[in-house]
Amino acid sequence: MDTLPHRSVVVIGLPSSGKTTFLAALWHTICDHELATKLSFHSLRSGDSAYLNAIAKLWRNAKLQERTFISGSRLVSINLKDQSNTPLVATFPDIAGETFRDMWERRECDSKEVEYLRGGGLLLFIHADNIKSPRWVVDMTAMAKELDVEIPADGNIPWHPKYAPTQVKIVSLLSLLREEPLDIGPRRLAVMLSAWDKVRDEGLTPDKFIEEKLPLLHQYLRQDADKWEWRAYGVSAQGGDYDKLDPKNPQAPASAEAESLLALDSPSTRIQLVYKEIESHDLTEPLEWLIS
Amino acid sequence: MTDVDGNIITCSNPECRVGETGKCVEGLELVACQNYGKAAVEPEKIESDNAEEKSRTNTVVTLSSAAKLTIPEATRILRQRQCKVIAVIGPHDAGKTSLIASMFDLFQEGPVGGVEFASSKTLHAFELACHDARCTSNRAIPHSERTKHGEGIKFYHLDVRGAAAKEGMTLILGDRAGETYRKATDAVEDAHEFCEVDRADSLTILVDGERLLDSAARHDVRSDIELIVQALVEAEVVLHKPRVALALTKIDAVQKSPHAGRAERDFDNILKSLRSIFAGNFTCIEPFKVAASPKFTNFKRGYGISELLNFWLLTPEREWPVYQRFTSATRMIGRLTVIKD
Repeated sequence: MDTLPHRSVVVIGLPSSGKTTFLAALWHTICDHELATKLSFHSLRSGDSAYLNAIAKLWRNAKLQERTFISGSRLVSINLKDQSNTPLVATFPDIAGETFRDMWERRECDSKEVEYLRGGGLLLFIHADNIKSPRWVVDMTAMAKELDVEIPADGNIPWHPKYAPTQVKIVSLLSLLREEPLDIGPRRLAVMLSAWDKVRDEGLTPDKFIEEKLPLLHQYLRQDADKWEWRAYGVSAQGGDYDKLDPKNPQAPASAEAESLLALDSPSTRIQLVYKEIESHDLTEPLEWLIS
Repeated sequence: MTDVDGNIITCSNPECRVGETGKCVEGLELVACQNYGKAAVEPEKIESDNAEEKSRTNTVVTLSSAAKLTIPEATRILRQRQCKVIAVIGPHDAGKTSLIASMFDLFQEGPVGGVEFASSKTLHAFELACHDARCTSNRAIPHSERTKHGEGIKFYHLDVRGAAAKEGMTLILGDRAGETYRKATDAVEDAHEFCEVDRADSLTILVDGERLLDSAARHDVRSDIELIVQALVEAEVVLHKPRVALALTKIDAVQKSPHAGRAERDFDNILKSLRSIFAGNFTCIEPFKVAASPKFTNFKRGYGISELLNFWLLTPEREWPVYQRFTSATRMIGRLTVIKD
């Protein structure tokens, strides 16, 4: 029987937002022992390591993680110790992005996932380089006129919730987490802007990035209607572009960018974590804040 | 769905449903989309012996809807917090849905006149209202879906904070088909059902700028507005003397027209006329000019909405008579119900 204290961190985000890549890099960092981290390896747990080892292997080899299947939401637990050597079990429900898509579009959720989502602090992943912002017909028409080009518009695609901007979907998701049956009271929220390496040249801090690129989400969080205690992090768990898995040719040579990442002596140094203006390679930092 | 060669249409973007709709989710030409035609890669199954996963059940839990609020849902919110109810009134096609959608779309880009978005229980409804002015609709000209006659009254919900909203204010925006307001001029008893007007902290009456440009229709515009207001007065749903915003809509089209001066004079005359005829029925009648979803580029999208939002928010808190708060009938169906002697 497990006697260590349990802490739960719920990993959430729309499809392809970087959730599984983060878990893979986290597991590698913890097992690797190379870098000093706020939370560190304590022991292996029976039953949970196979999945983590498999995704960490893909990550080390600079191969893209395949998305978590809709039927593949899983609960993984990692035995860790904090800086005072106190052991704890961190539990991560790794929920498929399609679950969150259904929560927005269909307004429904699997009962098992409801249980997972009631866990604890939240790691919310948003792909910083794949934000769908609203675009308006009038602005597009004006731009086309200025450039003297014609925009084909055959008109009248009926509305569907999937067309909503990223920030609206995220605000809705967070609001749902503060309503029955998902509400467990105020929680900590770490907004993880993934693929940070793709947007860091814009010179924005993660907070400023949310304010500029996701203004509705920023207003929602700043105005505190749902009482989130929140922080924003920029995270590049890959460090660059990885190669797709090719089942027909698993020995295919790595691309130049993947090759440069593989050339690093320590894979953990691919990781970049930015909080305000501070940079590190320590992916456990947001976890430590969420569970402290 | 299949393409012209009979092949099943696929896309490797998991968010795209081109196979069902024939449209790229990114709004791209199909040939230009890098994901189009590629099969979704079958994930390499990573086995887990996690007992939790194996005992997974498939019971579906229904979450809260994000559609427009019904009267009981709006009533529940009215009881919980400080709210302002806004009735947006006007004949069909005057721009009611555009106005509401435009306000939400302005928040998508940042605070509106210092007022910030805090939350909403009707995000699907707002998104639906915004759709036809967005590129995802694939329209060449912005459009707004009309509220259908017979739908009754529904409400948009918006929590805002900061500036005129101070520590926080909930806006409940009534949405009823314009045709229903017009029909009340034929049968005034229909206006007794306008609970959103009876409960409104302020009314926003829309004057269709495009119709004012039409020489044949311009006199009807004034007549329609005056008759609608007359019906509200006769139905006794404005006994509380609400503040009124009289808004000239589609100002972008008005300003582009050679009849701009005439249309603006007509609007001023409607304002004067309402102030004169209904002086004792409203606390004030203030003019506004808006271009909620302009078709021309001479006005910014959402022009005038910030001023209107401030007008709504700065409306003094309404004093509620004791009989309205505590009679059992009112408690049952909320303060939105019209109370008659």
